[in-house]
Order: sequence, then structure tokens, then C-alpha cells
Amino acid sequence: MSRMINLVLPLLILLSGACLVYVIARMFKLSNRNEALLTTVILATALVFQIILSRKTLSLQTNPGAYFGIAESGGILMLPNAKGGFISSIALFIGVLITLYASDYLAGESRYVLFYPLVLLLLAGLMALFLTVNLFTLFLITELITVTASALVAFRQEKAIAIKAGYKYLIMSSLGTMIMLLGVYFVFRATDNLNVFRVMAAPNNLTRIGAACFLLGFSIKAGVFPLHTWVPDVYGYASPSVSALLAGVVSKSMLFVMPPICLRLGMASGELGFILLVLACFNMIVGVVKMLGSRHLGRFLSYSSISQTGYLMFTLGIGFYYNLEQALSAALFLFLSIALMKSQAFLSAGIFERSLGTQDLARLVGVQKVLPLPSYGFSVALAGLAGIPLLAGFTGKWLAFTAAVATGDLFAFMCLAVFMLSTLVSLAGYLPVLVRQFIPGKDNAEKSPGEFGAKNISPGMLAPVIVLSGLVLILGVYPGPWIAWIGQVVEWMAL
Amino acid sequence: MDLPTNYLLLGITALPLMGIITLLIWRKATKKQAGWIGIISESLALAIIILLYPTLKQFGAIHFSMPWIANLQITFRLRLKWLSLTFLVTEVLVTLVAMVYSLGEDTGEKRSNFYYALLLLFSLGMSGTTLSEDVFLFYVFWELMLIASVLLILIWGHGEIRFKVSLKYFIVTHLGSLLVLIGLISLYVNFDTANISELIAQAGTLPMSTQRLLTGFFLIGFSVKMAIFPLHIWLPDAHTVAPMPVTIILAAAMLSMGTYGILQFPVAMFSQEAVQTFTIWMMIAGLISEVYGALMALAEKDVKRIIAYSSVSQMGYILFGIGTLTQQGMEGAILHVVYHAIIKALLFMVVGILIAVTGKRNIEEVGGLGMKYPLFCICAAIGVLGISGMPPLGIFNSEWMIFSGGFGAGTPIVLVVLTLLGSLFTVFYALRFFGGIFFGGKRPEGLPDKAPLALTIPTLAVTVFLLIEGLFPGTLLSWAMQGLASIWGAG
Repeated sequence: MSRMINLVLPLLILLSGACLVYVIARMFKLSNRNEALLTTVILATALVFQIILSRKTLSLQTNPGAYFGIAESGGILMLPNAKGGFISSIALFIGVLITLYASDYLAGESRYVLFYPLVLLLLAGLMALFLTVNLFTLFLITELITVTASALVAFRQEKAIAIKAGYKYLIMSSLGTMIMLLGVYFVFRATDNLNVFRVMAAPNNLTRIGAACFLLGFSIKAGVFPLHTWVPDVYGYASPSVSALLAGVVSKSMLFVMPPICLRLGMASGELGFILLVLACFNMIVGVVKMLGSRHLGRFLSYSSISQTGYLMFTLGIGFYYNLEQALSAALFLFLSIALMKSQAFLSAGIFERSLGTQDLARLVGVQKVLPLPSYGFSVALAGLAGIPLLAGFTGKWLAFTAAVATGDLFAFMCLAVFMLSTLVSLAGYLPVLVRQFIPGKDNAEKSPGEFGAKNISPGMLAPVIVLSGLVLILGVYPGPWIAWIGQVVEWMAL
Repeated sequence: MDLPTNYLLLGITALPLMGIITLLIWRKATKKQAGWIGIISESLALAIIILLYPTLKQFGAIHFSMPWIANLQITFRLRLKWLSLTFLVTEVLVTLVAMVYSLGEDTGEKRSNFYYALLLLFSLGMSGTTLSEDVFLFYVFWELMLIASVLLILIWGHGEIRFKVSLKYFIVTHLGSLLVLIGLISLYVNFDTANISELIAQAGTLPMSTQRLLTGFFLIGFSVKMAIFPLHIWLPDAHTVAPMPVTIILAAAMLSMGTYGILQFPVAMFSQEAVQTFTIWMMIAGLISEVYGALMALAEKDVKRIIAYSSVSQMGYILFGIGTLTQQGMEGAILHVVYHAIIKALLFMVVGILIAVTGKRNIEEVGGLGMKYPLFCICAAIGVLGISGMPPLGIFNSEWMIFSGGFGAGTPIVLVVLTLLGSLFTVFYALRFFGGIFFGGKRPEGLPDKAPLALTIPTLAVTVFLLIEGLFPGTLLSWAMQGLASIWGAG
């Protein structure tokens, strides 16, 4: 049955960890901090095994013999996947940081016991998503992600708006999963099989409909235009650690799960690329335009997230439409940089909210005086998102632009023009917010930090922001090793 | 060339960087201390340029390279060549002058370390731009220059309006940067190298349509930085709102980086045929900028805006000179960059003294200062005569070359004549500026007896420098000729 138990070891650690954390927390009435630390340890262990596994996967080359599960029809089957390994590693790393953050952020929360198991389950779902090759299992895993993510979004039950956001996410996401189930039906009806590799051998019109269903389903989850309407409510009002995880990693990784499935079900690479490129243009524009009008910090970052989803779609679209491997590397690098910058932005925003008691952008005036470290961190994140050189975002954009220019095609250039326009407009959004932190405001400047109403921020919340800032800088100044890693992943995929 | 020489080249960027780091660490530095760190770092960079000069003369170029992002073929590669030298020396000198001038300017004692660090970063961006031999590195330095200047305007600019102004400045110039970026990436993708020398050697092999398209991108992109009409919209506000030393660097040094870009990329890289498509448009844009800038300067009442618009006008001459695509015209353009830098620095310093003495910026509210401050008046007079193109003050030489290049270019003669006539407007606004400040009977009450010495000394130094450069243009001319020869040969 199992020739490679290692393949699912990180997954098993997370799943068993989720149960373990819940049971121990209940039995021993663990405090929030202790439960968070336990979770952090579990996540860190999973991360270590995941990295070992990723390295092993990369060295496996095309060895098709390595799998976990039952290879017969109908069995749960998991195959090693270098791309999944890369994304899972990032997700676990962000997971470690957000649990560390939550160890202080959730200090006053009564229901914290549930939070950590949910995070572990969510991450386990995300990991499994990349490993599975069975469409029904895929459906089940997406359901797991939907349910855990909705519960996490609605976690702040004292806030009506968070509950509303949780419902909205649940409904939209379930709709996506239902559409996927429909896709599963079409594929099974056409081929009597749900293993994507077997379906790949004989695609027909029904499997192509199935592919379209999966495209639609994952688009909802990724926040692709026009199915993005849930994004601002969810990221805007969920707890910052949840927003950081969802906006930074989970939603965006859907864009990487979807293409191989759609392609194996018979969708043409050109079709997929075209759809991604066209929708990317909408995402890039709608995101930045709506961002300009936002007055709420969370919503502001959410709208910017929609445009970043657009950047990823653009880069992936270039890759599929023009069959350009280079674009895939660019997309993975962009994913990494966005994951770091976006989660950093949300975590910093959470510090502002916790300390100032508001998410009103206007209240950020002079915040640097009161909260210097978070505001520097937030500035690095925003400047990175704006594409300032020597920060991660610029390297990502350089790679994306390079891929687009390499196509030498007018359509790609037109989409690139939209990308550039979006970048330019986004500056008008990011810069004022960034600068506002440093202005000695009329109302706030004269007051001392104490009068300002700022609460002290614990090191547990500060540390993730500092670590992420450092990484955003490293990725901008010395991206070589990361690009090399991504290069290996892409090479593996091409084999 | 031996190894130490190569490392010396790195020093031109490394020393200001060390200055920046020192200033960022030493947060309690007083303004004077911070100022001196800035001045010393920048002077050392200048000393290195002087040290490298004999080697440059011997070999024609000096290289430094260090691995950076190997898997993208991106290297930290610097190259000092004749074309860079003129721009580099101009920029370093202007920064030095601005730093000395800052000591006497009211920029506040608080955060002085950050102020000087940003001035150094600004200069580092410009030095790096002129020295970069890698397109990625070029863009990084190009943007650093923008970021430093935006921060300087944002933090030390005048009035609440500075937030809007710096945002506008950033976004408009970033639009130009993005066009430049696309041009750079296209070259990088086509030849799979980021090395500028290699690109220069190969770019002529691109299809003509691509060469034309990229020339267009580069020209528009760099014209934004040069503030050529109608891409100048960021300039008047940015120059007006920025503190005086920053205005000096913006006007005297940063604008000319656009000129360097045009010479380094489209002119040096692409075939003459591709660039020729745009020559007439460059000349027309140059002419319009020249006249428009001068007319606006004539209509403005704010002394700082008058000189700001004069930059739009002067950049018009430079673009016109390049547009002639003749040796003389382009050499004239390079010379004009230097002369304009000196004169613009001088004129802004004059404005700075005027504001420091009277506290007023409206030209109608001041007057009759000539007799009260004779030395200040003489400096201003030389600056004003200089910008009007009076021989032997610098700009006369460069304008002469630009116009004669125009006559020799085989372009419609009417265009050259119009440009020549347009220069009359320069005389009008220059005289109005001078007359308004120093003549007339409305001298404000309660003026100090003497202009502040800290501001007058650097102003005087620049005036003397202008006189020397105008009288002995030989060295500068030979630099410009060699600079052009190094790129035009390839064209």
C-alpha cells in the first residue's frame, strides 16, 4: 500500500497535531499562549519534514513509482509534487508566524481553544490539495478547507460583521465546491474514473465540462473577477492572522492547484491561458480602483489582494497561453513574495487595530511615533507591494514583466500594459497610506503615545512582522537562491 | 588596469553608502555633524573620480563587476566611461554644493542625520545611474534616485501641499520609469544579457520596427525625467515645494539624468535610422518646451516657480540638441547639461538668499535690493546673464553648438530659426527676474544688513566656477567630445 510514507508525514503531523492540540488544550486547560506554542512546535516540525520531503521530491526526478495510498481505481492516491512542496513550505512557514502572532493577539479571546486546531486542519487541507490525484478526494479536501476557513473567518464571534463575513465566505466557497462536485460528476460519467492521470489519457467533451467546473470552482476560492465579491468582507473583518493566512497563501495557492487539473481534464493550455489573462486584467484594475476608495485598512488590503491575484493570474496566464516555462517560475516567485508581503501587511494592520482600536485609515496619521516597528514593517510591506526596487515585490514584477516581454506577442503586451497601469494606479493607493504613518498629524502629534490611546504591543506580535520584513528585503536584494529553488521546482514539473 | 583601480570605482558608490549607514546609525548627530559626514562622503567620492581620471584617460573606461543574481544573468557591474564622467562630476559637485548650502538653510535640527542620508542616497542613485553597466542595476539606481527625492520633498517640503505634490511627482515620473523598464527588459530578453556594453554591440541587429518602438519608449520615459512639455507637469510643483538644496539637486543634476538615459540607450544602442524617425519630434518637443517654459516663467510671480519653469525651457534646448543627431548638436547638449547645472544651481541659490532675506517669494512684493546687497546682486547678475546665453558665460558656448548642429542637420530651417528666436523669451524672463528683485523702489521694510554668510559663500563659489567654466571650456568640451565619440561611434 505504501511505498512512501514520508510523502504524507507532514500531513499526518498536522492532522494528528490538530486532534492532539484540541485534546490537550481541553484536558489540561491550556492557556492561549501555551496552546499557540504547542501549535507552533507542531507546525515547525511539519515544516522541517516538508522541507526534507521537498528536497527528496526534487531529487526523485520522474520516478513514478513513488506514491502513497491505493493505486487501484477508487483508492486514495497521493503523488509527490514539487510545486505543492514549495507552496506547502511557504504556507507552513506563514502558519508558524501567524500562530506565534495569535499567541498574543488572541489573549483575550475565550474561544481560542478551537482556533489552533482549525489552523492546523486548514493547512493540512492545503497540503493535501496538491498531493491528491483523485477528484473526489480533491472535492472532500476543498470542503475541509472551506469549512475550516469559514470557521476561522467567523472566529471573532463578538463582532457581527465577522460572523457575516464567515457566512459570506461559507456560502461563496460552498458554491465553488458544489460546482466542483458537478465537475466530478461529469468526469465520472464520462470516464468511470476519477484519477486525473487516467482521465488525462482519454479526455472528451464531458471531461472538458468538468474542467470548466473546476476552473469556476477554484476561481471563486481564489477571488477571481467577477467572483471576488466576498474578498473585501472576509479579509477585511477576519482576525488578522486569519486574513494573513487566507489572503497571503490559501486563496492564492488555488491558482496553482487549478491549472494541472483543468489541463488534465482536457482543457487546452491556450484556452486556460486566455481565460486567465483576460480575467487577470479585470482583477488588476478592479482591485486597485476599489482600493483607492477604501477608508478601512482591512478592506484596503483586501482590494489590493484582488489586484495581486490578478498579477498571479497574469503571470500564469502568460505561462499557459504561450507555453512559457519562465512564466511559471515568475509566478512561483511572485507567489512567494506576495505571500510574505501580504501576510506582513495584514499582521501589521492587526497591530494597528489592536493598539489604536480602529481600522480607519485616517487614524494612521502619525502612527510611526507610537508604534515605530510595526509601522516600519507595514511600510516595507506596502513599498514591496508597490514594486519598489530592492524589495521582494520588484523582483517578482521584474520576472513577470520579463516573461511577458519574452512572448513577443501583442496580446501579452496589451495585458502587460494593463499590469503597468494597475501598478501605477496602485501607487496612488499605497503611497498616501504609507506616508500617513510618518506625518505628524494635527490631532495626534501633540499627544504623547500614552494619550494617543496606543496599547503596548507584545514581542510575540512584533516578531513575525520583523521576520517577514527581513525576508521581503532579502528577497529583493539577493533573490538568487530563491530563484534557483524555484528553478528546480519548475524543472521537476517539466520532467 | 590593476585590481585596486577597479575597487576604487566601487568606492564612488560605496563611500556614500557608508556615509548613509553611518548617518542612520548615528541618530543623535547634530545638523553640523551630519552635514560634515555627508560632505566628507561626497568629497571622497569626488576624490576617487579625480584619482581615476588618469586611468580613464589611459584606457578609455574602467570596470568593476561582482556576481549578484547569477541565475538571471544579472551582475553588479559598474563602468566609468567618458560619457558617464561629465554627468557624474556634475552630479557629485551639485550634491556637494547643495550639502554645503543646506548647512545655512533652515531644514530643522531634528532628523538631520536622515536628511543628509537621503541627500547621499539621492546622489548615490544618480552616480549609480551613470555608472551602471547592467540594466537591472541601472533601474535600481534610477528608482533609488526617485525614492530619495520624493522622501526629501515629502518630509522637508514646504506646506501641507507637499503630500500631494510628492505623490504627483512620484506617480508621473514612475510612469516614465515604467516605460524605461519595459525598454530595458525588452533588450534583456532579446539578447539574454543584462550587460549594457554587450547590448550596445548587439541592439542594432533588432528588427527596425522593434528598434523604433523601443526608441520611442526610452525617449518618452526619459523625457518625463527631463520634464519635457507636456510631460513636465510634475516639475513646477516639485521644485517649488522642495527645500532649496533639494530643488538645486533636482534641477541641476537629476533632470540631466534623463539626458544621460537618452544618450546611453536609444542614441548609443540603436541604429541611426531608428533614432532618426524621432529626430523631428525631438526637435519639435524641444522647441515647444523651450518656448512654453520661458513663457510660463514670464507669467509666474513666485520666484522659485520662475526658475523652475526655466528648467523646462532649458531642457528643451538639450532635447533639441540631441534631436539634431549631429555631432555638434549633441556635444552642445552635453555641454548644456553642465552649464545649465551650474547656472541653475546658482539661480536657485539666489532665490534661496532672497527668500532668507525678505521672507517673500512673490516677485511683485520685492524690489530694490541691488544697492543693499551688492555682492548678492552681482552673483544674480552673472547667473541671469549666463542663462540668457551671454558670452563668455557657458551657455553661450553650448547654445552656439546646439544651433549650429541644428543648421547642419538638414532639418527644416524654420525649426532652428524658431528655436533661436524662442531663446529671446529666455532673455525676457531672466531680465524680469533680475529687474524685479534688484531694481524698482519697493524694497521691503526691516531687512537684515547682510545676506546670510552661510548661503552667500557657496553662491559666490558657484559664480566663480561658472566664470571659470565659461572662460575655459576646453576640458569640458574635450570630455563632451570623447563622451559622444564613445557612443556615437557605435551608432
